[in-house]
Amino acid sequence: MTTTANKRHREVKEPHWIEWATGVISALVVVATIAWVAYEAWTYADMQPEFSIAITERRQTEGGYRIAFDIANKATATAAAVTVRGEILDGGNIVEDADVTFDYVPAESKSSGAILFSQDPGAREVRVRAVGFIEP
Amino acid sequence: MNGVRAERGDGASESRSFLIGLGRGAAGAMLFGIPMLMTMELWQLGFYIERWRLFLLLIVNIPLLILLAHRIGFERTSTVAEACRDATIAYGLGIVISAAVLIMLGDIKPHMPLSEILGKIAIQSVPASIGALLGRSQLGGQAGKEEDQDDEEEDEEEGAVPDEISTSYSRELFLMAVGALFLNLNVAPTEEIILIAYKMTPSHALVTICVSIAIMHGFVYAVAFKGTHEISEETPWWHAFFRFTLPGYMVAMLISLYVLWTFGRLDDTGPTQMLMSAIVLSFPGAIGAAAARLIL
Repeated sequence: MTTTANKRHREVKEPHWIEWATGVISALVVVATIAWVAYEAWTYADMQPEFSIAITERRQTEGGYRIAFDIANKATATAAAVTVRGEILDGGNIVEDADVTFDYVPAESKSSGAILFSQDPGAREVRVRAVGFIEP
Repeated sequence: MNGVRAERGDGASESRSFLIGLGRGAAGAMLFGIPMLMTMELWQLGFYIERWRLFLLLIVNIPLLILLAHRIGFERTSTVAEACRDATIAYGLGIVISAAVLIMLGDIKPHMPLSEILGKIAIQSVPASIGALLGRSQLGGQAGKEEDQDDEEEDEEEGAVPDEISTSYSRELFLMAVGALFLNLNVAPTEEIILIAYKMTPSHALVTICVSIAIMHGFVYAVAFKGTHEISEETPWWHAFFRFTLPGYMVAMLISLYVLWTFGRLDDTGPTQMLMSAIVLSFPGAIGAAAARLIL
């Protein structure tokens, strides 16, 4: 450890062992962070966003019908302005459609949203899909 | 500071110096709070932030202000009770100034629901109250105060007992946390932080980490600002690097994560994206932490 005669600054005094302990822990944390990011950089591939949508709730609301869903992005690239379209299909014909736009769907993350229809789809098929995005 | 001279004067000059202190606090709240009071995202956060996260932020602010007041008070605080009083005044000033400015800017209107009005004021009062405390110490800069502080520090050094070393070390880390928190609160609510994190590749992040740490170390030890900490010649540079700079960066990182979480920027986000946002926010955080060591 350091011993110095100069007493004017805190740094030059005999450091308490806690200072070294904190220093070592911090160094480990910082090295771990750098290692993590370095691993990400090493395995980084220029992927395109990939979406999967899961409907989580269908519910009658006042004056309409709400379909809530989660949109997950499995890729390592973030998508911005993701437009999701919901359609009620009756034997292949689109009866009603509604759009919703997400500002961001981050990489390896999910976002939640809902589409509001004016009618109850009932037994008819409901299709929810992402129709477009831009790179942030 | 006027408070020092006041003991010689009568009650009138004492209350006058207190009023001047209040004025400085208000000026500080304004000076440090304005960037946030005029940020759209913070107004929006005022009504959509989860209430228990806001509650936690408001609670965390109390011990932070008390500790800060103990270090740089409204009046020269020596006891915990006085530090509590000063912290209360600063918090109160922060709330009043935030409310006044938000009303003036037309961001608070009578027809708004009460929870929205309260939320907007509450979230702004945190940086404004820190500003009120800092304003008191930083806008005061008379010679009398400077001398006085030097005296105090010398006294401290002379009376140093082994325990004192770790106390001043924890205080140093605390100051870094305050500096990081302050700059983080400025930039964290904006959409730019997550946008930058999304645009960056891991290689950019690696560079950002290294630059943040280098700036932190350089700010305090290499570039000769006022208040620069010197390392004696026989101490290797890496001693200070390990004992102050790396812990400082870790503190900045933790504060960044806390602030991002408070503002709901980490919800449903993958761990790598969380880390990326934290790295982006730690860059201003590191600068704030380093600056706090020099200024406070």
